Amino acid sequence: MIELIGVSKRFGDSLAVNNISLKVASGEFCCLVGTSGCGKSTTLRMINRLIEHSDGEIHIDQQPIRSFREEVLRRRIGYAIQSTGLFPHWTVARNIGLVPRLLKWSQAAVDARVEELMALLRLDMAEFAGKYPHQLSGGQAQRVGVARALAADPDILLMDEPFGALDPITRENLQLELRDLQARLGKTIVFVTHDMDEALRLADHLVVMHEGQVVQQGHPLELLREPANEFVTSLLGGEDRGLKEAALLPVSERMVPLGVGGVARDRIVQTASLRDALSMMLWRRVERLAVVDDEDIPIGELSFRRLVGARGHE
Amino acid sequence: MDSQRSDDGKGYLVLVALMGAALVAWWWLPSVSVAPNRIVPGTGFSAGQVAGWPMALLASLPLLLTGWVALRAGQQRLSWLLGLVMLCLVGWPLWLLLATVQLVDPQLPQARVAIGAGMWLTLFLLLLALIELSTRMKLAAWRSWLLFLLPVAVLAACIPVGLDRLALWQEYQGRSDDFITAIGVHLLLVAATVVLSLMIGVGIALFVRRVPAMQRTVFSILNFLQTIPSLALFGLLLGPLAWLASHYAWLESLGVSGIGWAPALLALVAYSLLPMVRNTLVALEGVDEGVIEAARGMGMSRRQILQQVRLPLALPVLIEGIRITTVQAIGLTAVAALIGAGGLGRFIFQGLGQAATDLVLLGALPILIMALVADALLAGMARKLQPGLSPGAGT
Ligand SMILES: Nc1ncnc2c1ncn2[C@@H]1O[C@H](COP(=O)(O)OP(=O)(O)OP(=O)(O)O)[C@@H](O)[C@H]1O
Ligand SMILES: [Mg+2]
Repeated sequence: MIELIGVSKRFGDSLAVNNISLKVASGEFCCLVGTSGCGKSTTLRMINRLIEHSDGEIHIDQQPIRSFREEVLRRRIGYAIQSTGLFPHWTVARNIGLVPRLLKWSQAAVDARVEELMALLRLDMAEFAGKYPHQLSGGQAQRVGVARALAADPDILLMDEPFGALDPITRENLQLELRDLQARLGKTIVFVTHDMDEALRLADHLVVMHEGQVVQQGHPLELLREPANEFVTSLLGGEDRGLKEAALLPVSERMVPLGVGGVARDRIVQTASLRDALSMMLWRRVERLAVVDDEDIPIGELSFRRLVGARGHE
Repeated sequence: MDSQRSDDGKGYLVLVALMGAALVAWWWLPSVSVAPNRIVPGTGFSAGQVAGWPMALLASLPLLLTGWVALRAGQQRLSWLLGLVMLCLVGWPLWLLLATVQLVDPQLPQARVAIGAGMWLTLFLLLLALIELSTRMKLAAWRSWLLFLLPVAVLAACIPVGLDRLALWQEYQGRSDDFITAIGVHLLLVAATVVLSLMIGVGIALFVRRVPAMQRTVFSILNFLQTIPSLALFGLLLGPLAWLASHYAWLESLGVSGIGWAPALLALVAYSLLPMVRNTLVALEGVDEGVIEAARGMGMSRRQILQQVRLPLALPVLIEGIRITTVQAIGLTAVAALIGAGGLGRFIFQGLGQAATDLVLLGALPILIMALVADALLAGMARKLQPGLSPGAGT
């Protein structure tokens, strides 16, 4: 668990971070969003003491971070950044094994771990282990960056726009993989991003910052439905919020279980989002969709009226 | 690639020009000069006067042929051209041998042959052609070295069979022990300069990085040192060192005095510090900040970052600094001979004093060769150490 209590950071006369309080529970995925220069990176880097906070207290698992030696603290926390920061003179395998080696694992243990991580991030061992960072594509380099952050199996991961500068498709793939990883391994993640869709897709806990302060925080749906002010509203997409909310809700939430009338022709899986369902209706020009489970067996039906959340009879 | 394509069919103009210039030098400048002894100035002989013009024409055929092939075949016959240039280079000492046999009176034991402007220029142009061809053909470094060694070997082979009358060789013969010592001293001074200035330079660079406020002061001092003329600096050190040596017996027993190696080394190090510190600083600061941030974020200590990340990544630029310093020190050490530090500069200054050109050459040629070799070796090393390219940097 990470806890920031009234934390501020001054650079000379300017306040980059102003009295913020924040709690990230274990296993939670926390996203920091806000305009450029609002103090997201500074907040993140105070957690692993790359920047020392000026005021307030930061605790990790109830212990103040200053009670650890800097290096010891950082080796316990994974860190990935947009520029990847891979060492250009080291191979992919050696880059990934960095923190385990700093922790003095045996060579065999390091090798085994590197192999495991490369499999986890779908980097083919035979192809990539011996390559140098400049021989990788942007997406591959970002994966290696994430693998390196995960190497010593830290409970906490700090990620500063790790998927920036990637094309939308690669980006979405990596987001899904990260979400999946987090669910499986139960990591606590603090993730900085500029991309609101990315934040909404990933976060359990969304933190909106503005000029060094936290404007609002909570579950993404909560923020979408009850934005605290104009700034949050416009940051979360203004008029687009309806679609953004629909993207967060699964079809199963609004469908009617099977048994009412005939089955519609067009099918959608129950785990798809309402946004996908809406898109399908618009595209196919239909008002009803059959909802199926993972095995393609119909389990319910979604009508346009139900989809938009209108109540009452059909 | 592009230049190769656009040059197709047009003739290989660089080589044509080089060969044209070589032919002009060959025919119109004195080929050799012959003197009956060391004191009398020599008489110049043109190529035609050495052994009659048919012989001279025959000897210039390889040059003509190279130029002609370059003109007609362009760059499609690079290996032919290389072969022809090598033929010219191997022929060069043979021509010298011919001139010696023809022109030196065997009755005069002191008679000698000096290489004339025409032959020097031809040699220089041929070497340029060789460099041009070996870069164009992307020859491996060791192969081009072998190509350079071949004419040297032929020259060495010619010495026992008559070329011992070469003035340069005669000067060497008179002081062969001195020559070996001088080379040793020269190399030793250069090596000591580079090692000392590297250690001090890296130290200063690291200090300046920690205390950026000192950067201006440090650089103005180093810049100032660099602007003092070398002779003046040697002179300035004379007094203090003599005083030190006379007050501290242990310094004197080490051989420290106002003249000799001590002031030379001090001055050489002083001159070397600026390029060394500047390159080290550029090298260290040139390392991507993202990489350093990641290294810190992963929990590497300051020391680990310096040793495992910053220094290895800075190494190519650092070696560039060492290269500049080394080449500069090889040249400056020649001047140090003036205050009795020894080295090859001694022959240069003696030769200048006695108006003996070949003695000057005996000092200057090895210095030139040393500088070229050091330059090539260190440049090659820097290229090998580019991050991510060296096989040694792997897991
Ligand atoms: N080392 C530093 N020295 C001085 N000022 C700094 C330093 N680091 C950050 N700042 C300032 O603190 C403020 C917050 O910076 P920060 O990097 O946290 O912004 P950010 O929210 O991450 O922005 P972006 O989205 O553009 O990355 C900025 O005004 C920045 O200029
Ligand atoms: Mg940032």
